[in-house]
Amino acid sequence: MFTRFEEYAATQMLGQPDSPPRSEGKLFFSEEWQRTVFGMALALSKEGYFEWDDFRQNLINTITAWEKDACAGDTKWDYYERYTLALIAILEQRRILEPGEMARQMVADETSK
Amino acid sequence: MAELFDYDESREAVSAAKVRALEALLIKKGVLGSDSVDAVLSHFETVAGPFNGARIVARAWLDSAYKCRLLEDTPKAIAELNFPGMNGAEGEHMKAVANSESVHNLVICTLCSCYPWPMLGLPPYWYKDPVFRSRGVREPRAVLREFGVPISADKEVRVWDSSAQIRWFVIPERPAHSEHLTETQLAALVTPEAMMGVALVPAPTAA
Repeated sequence: MFTRFEEYAATQMLGQPDSPPRSEGKLFFSEEWQRTVFGMALALSKEGYFEWDDFRQNLINTITAWEKDACAGDTKWDYYERYTLALIAILEQRRILEPGEMARQMVADETSK
Repeated sequence: MAELFDYDESREAVSAAKVRALEALLIKKGVLGSDSVDAVLSHFETVAGPFNGARIVARAWLDSAYKCRLLEDTPKAIAELNFPGMNGAEGEHMKAVANSESVHNLVICTLCSCYPWPMLGLPPYWYKDPVFRSRGVREPRAVLREFGVPISADKEVRVWDSSAQIRWFVIPERPAHSEHLTETQLAALVTPEAMMGVALVPAPTAA
């Protein structure tokens, strides 16, 4: 039904537990990194690195885990925090990222500041 | 005490740092192009979205002949404006209905969530809500009142059920005191909700 991957991908999420924040018909990002991570997942799936539904399953799992763990008032809901975890997970599952690679990059980023 | 207030901010900072690291790694590996994110998001930001619908409405307000063509053969009139994102199936089968002094139109979807994406953008949360959909059919005036759009008794309310065959959208009434505005300024007043019939277009605020 959709000729564009972008529309297919976003529409699959609507009305589902992993539905992205939006406002006035547009995706809503309060920080630039949120926009970046949303676009990265979309771009990588479009390129065929993973199935969109497999990524979404990770996202739904990490959302469910948050819901189970969250004590009232303890951790604030952050959709794009969940989204980031889900993207890292699928990239590790597909061996696009090796275990520990992210941690090493973050240390490198930190020391190069 | 300061740590308490820093808590969420530092969580944000961790997420931001992860995304930075991830982007750098993926670009280094050649998995992600440096412009891939912008390319994929440009679809939502400039190609298909509520800005297209708003432009069509503004044109219809300014050009009554265009409005007639739009109501007569909506896809053809949309094609006149040469939108880049309008080739997909979601832009086809569109049908415009116009609000007027005597009629108010409301668009719902009772079967699925057929929504004219390239023109209205992403549907709001409640669009898929079965309660909204069934009440929209049964008691549209009550639903509209709750949206802050009371419709007087002498005005007819027409409810349109979008489907895979026809995707409806509403040309709202042009607001008062908008005679001096350009097409772009008029388009800026038009919201997706107004094009679904659950909002009116407010009069422009005085400059």
